[in-house]
Amino acid sequence: MPHGPEDDADGSGRRAGHARQAPDEGAAGAFEDALLVLVPGLRRYSHSLTRTDADGEDLLQDCVETALQRRAQWRGVNLRAWTFTIMTNLYRNRHRARVRWPTTAIDEAQEIADTDRTGDPLERTRIRTALDALHPDIRTTLMLVVVEGYTYQEAAGIMQIPIGTVMSRLSRARHQLAELLAKDNIVPLRRPK
Amino acid sequence: MNEGKATVGENDLHAYVDGLLDDGRRAEVEAWLEAHPQEAERVAGWWSQNERIRDAFAGDYIARIDDPDLLRPDGSPSAVAGHRARIARIGLAAAATLLIFAAGFGTGRMLPAGTVPAAGASDTSLAAEARSAFLIYTSEVRHPVEVGADQQEHLAAWLGKRLDYRLRVPDLSSLGYALVGGRLVPVAGKPGALLMYQNPAGQRLTMMIGRNDENSETSFRLDVQAPLRTFYWIDGPIGYAVTGEISADALRAVADECYRQMEEA
Repeated sequence: MPHGPEDDADGSGRRAGHARQAPDEGAAGAFEDALLVLVPGLRRYSHSLTRTDADGEDLLQDCVETALQRRAQWRGVNLRAWTFTIMTNLYRNRHRARVRWPTTAIDEAQEIADTDRTGDPLERTRIRTALDALHPDIRTTLMLVVVEGYTYQEAAGIMQIPIGTVMSRLSRARHQLAELLAKDNIVPLRRPK
Repeated sequence: MNEGKATVGENDLHAYVDGLLDDGRRAEVEAWLEAHPQEAERVAGWWSQNERIRDAFAGDYIARIDDPDLLRPDGSPSAVAGHRARIARIGLAAAATLLIFAAGFGTGRMLPAGTVPAAGASDTSLAAEARSAFLIYTSEVRHPVEVGADQQEHLAAWLGKRLDYRLRVPDLSSLGYALVGGRLVPVAGKPGALLMYQNPAGQRLTMMIGRNDENSETSFRLDVQAPLRTFYWIDGPIGYAVTGEISADALRAVADECYRQMEEA
């Protein structure tokens, strides 16, 4: 499941090779190598948090930059959790800095989101639109657990909150999402093509 | 945590759906759910949510060829790369590239003749080239081309001469794309032509054309290198690729149109 359908569409699974292909130009260190391996997972996480893939790529870039800047602070264990914590904080800060709710046009979001999917683009749009309606903290919790497979304890560590808060956020996420998706089913989305 | 059938709580149900219970506890929860159909229905809904969310983002777990650029520290050439990536992203949101490439296929570096392309290094270099061209030229605002559409005849003659091929510049106006112009580009170390198109919305397509010394034929092939798609084909001495950040159908329509016009030429 870690690999998307695009890999098959390639017919070669060569994407993974790409990432490892050019660690030569200024990114040869062990830390960089380890970070590079984590990029696909960080990309999925960032895309699952943001309204558009473009926003997700931006968040990913910020995350990697921050990780490189703070490499001295990494204690040498669990780079994945460490980088996920960084991204989680960056995401949270973005939302705090922003006016209440982000105002990215939904149409734009859909346009970008649908460009490289081999699955049902409507379904992805539907899910993403529903997730956009969740509070960012609630969305973060749900994505860490559901998409990234973290345990509740690990998710609590990454978000730096008590585990009880993880549970209540998860509960709210699922409740709200059920309502949002049920509503969505009544009004079929149709995109002009 | 709670224990016993009667004490299954909300947290247990979440942990059940998230696969975080051990076998014993899971069996208990399942037994409890059988006795509580209403709760079971709710839990089934969560289960379905999980599946849909995972499916929605499964395709985002990908490495991209320019990922190493992310890791270049500021100040080195990387600042430029990062800057370029940002610009490219802005471009990508609105731009599509149509690349028609062709060139040294006969060297075996790019595509094996007439067969399904092999995985691995041979295709990697091709995809890399297409991607570079996309990143570099579609994000160019001021000088996207060397010769503009106003000199279309000169453009065709000039690039055709370098390619040693009677280049016909496809007319994509039926698909809403007007010619911006073209430039000479290296493709697999040989002269190739890059043509660029743009629609009224500012979305760009570029097309790369180059030589195929092997003189082989292939059908249309699709290469997906998120977020880009490439349709490519080899037609005798010339190879073509169209790459775009547009739907496969839309890109296919462009490729079909190009193919049709090339055939007429």
